[in-house]
Amino acid sequence: MSDTSIKDFEAALAELDLLVKKLEDGDLSLEQSLALYERGVQLSRFCHTKLEEAERRVEILTERGELKPAPASLVGDDPERR
Amino acid sequence: MPSHFGLPFDDEPDQPPAASKAVPAAPTSPSLEARVRDIARRTLGSTPAAPVAPAAPIEPAAPRRQVLSVSELTAAIRDQLEAQFFTVWVEGELSNAKIWNNGHLYFTLKDDRSQLKGVMFRTQLRYLKFKPVDGLRVIARGRVSVYEARGEYQLTCEMLEPKGLGALQLAFEQLKKRLQAEGLFDEARKRPLPALPRKIGIVTSLDGAAIRDMLKVLGRRYHNAHLVIRSTRVQGDGSAAEIAQAIRAIQHVPGVDVLIVGRGGGSVEDLWAFNEEPVARAIAECPVPVISAVGHESDVTIADFVADRRAPTPSAAAEIVVSSRDEFCHRIDRMRDRLDAAMMGRVQALSRRVHVLGGRTALAGFPTRLAMRGRDVTELAHRLDQQFRMRLSGRERTLTLLRRRLDAFDLGRRLDGIRTRLATADGRLRAAVIRRHDRAQAGLRERAGRLTSLSPLAVLGRGYAVAWNADRTHALRHATDVVPGDRIRVTLADGELECDVRGTAPRLTTND
Repeated sequence: MSDTSIKDFEAALAELDLLVKKLEDGDLSLEQSLALYERGVQLSRFCHTKLEEAERRVEILTERGELKPAPASLVGDDPERR
Repeated sequence: MPSHFGLPFDDEPDQPPAASKAVPAAPTSPSLEARVRDIARRTLGSTPAAPVAPAAPIEPAAPRRQVLSVSELTAAIRDQLEAQFFTVWVEGELSNAKIWNNGHLYFTLKDDRSQLKGVMFRTQLRYLKFKPVDGLRVIARGRVSVYEARGEYQLTCEMLEPKGLGALQLAFEQLKKRLQAEGLFDEARKRPLPALPRKIGIVTSLDGAAIRDMLKVLGRRYHNAHLVIRSTRVQGDGSAAEIAQAIRAIQHVPGVDVLIVGRGGGSVEDLWAFNEEPVARAIAECPVPVISAVGHESDVTIADFVADRRAPTPSAAAEIVVSSRDEFCHRIDRMRDRLDAAMMGRVQALSRRVHVLGGRTALAGFPTRLAMRGRDVTELAHRLDQQFRMRLSGRERTLTLLRRRLDAFDLGRRLDGIRTRLATADGRLRAAVIRRHDRAQAGLRERAGRLTSLSPLAVLGRGYAVAWNADRTHALRHATDVVPGDRIRVTLADGELECDVRGTAPRLTTND
């Protein structure tokens, strides 16, 4: 993610909510509006990117506290469609 | 009633029956005595003769006395009792029940007339599901044993079950009541699930149906979920401790922010581990929200009460995680629609203001003011052009961009699950948004047209020019805005100049 100022989804969503309200209510200048809008676009894009960027992974936490990929017998039989 | 006078005053009418009552008891005591003597003789062989011999002459008429030592008698009683009551079932009410440091349970069983001391050793106690508390009516199975050192007998209990209620049911009620009193079921303790879990932790058996069911749902509807599974036994002796251990282990895996704990359907005994305290405690103490998913819809376990969310089945638990993700998508989209609408509103409002100002100035007809307004208009129009378009996405026109984004938000294209829901529930909403969008687009185009016709270009056509700073973010208003050597841009009616400032001088003429 290029924008490191966005910490996580919840925070992004909260900020988005806030600036939408500001944009809806406030009598802002064009520049301020644009700045908010731009940020809003960035935030929503961040959320969507985040939603999609992850890879499907299934791991097993062993008794010894190690993470290992799940055996194919476990994950193989479900329909993996991409 | 003359006969009364014949009766002595101190005559007790009750006495004869009482005496006769004592009579039937008499025959039993000699026979028991005889049996004890008999046993003693058999057990002790020739020794009984010894105490009898020297003291005899004083009472020659009395029968030969059989004197036993306390130990002898006690041993005989012990043999007798333990043989006769090797396996007994006895019902009574528990009192003085206490588990001692050695791990054994000591108690007294009583009914309205008698008491019986009892013990249940640690090894048996381990299998006791419910908590033996005073006042509980129980049926105990065990044997009578004699503690010779103190001359006491007691029931050594092998099995204890509550009367009337199943042991498991009682255990369930007891634990439920206790944890409830501690507040572990309080609604206020329930935490919301994360909108978008980074990693989903699953505690269950790898051999069961539950894990496959969950993987199926997640594979179908949450194609990029990241799962961390901690396998554990979910039934049998000691499984509760294992499950608790697994919950404690998996909560420390970085990124795991929701847990599903459960197993597939089975008998009450199969599901029992989820009714045990260690599992309940582990769930209650877990720092991340826990979804319980035990058995079928109708199975309710203690784990369900403690968990932040109860899922009726393992599949349903997976669905819950999926739907929180769907909900998250919807929230973003709704927010995004509002953002776009709000921005369009701002642009329209500002355009309108520009229009009004421009119109007013044109009427006033003061060339300088017109030039100023013209500059404002140009500047605004320019910002619209430059910032609104360039800053947002380079060469794409903003409205095209917005539309493209809207298209991009067609979740149907991105997520199968969402597509269905959008198509039905949000179809109309979406259409409305697009209509609104189109209207706004048309409005903006119209205003842009008017802006163009209004003044800036016309003014420029008459020979005015607008000077900008090098990157065209500000129109130059004062000669002091620049210094020699600066690069500036000048907008003319039909094009633009890039200029270097060679010198600056204050304006000589005034205009206000």
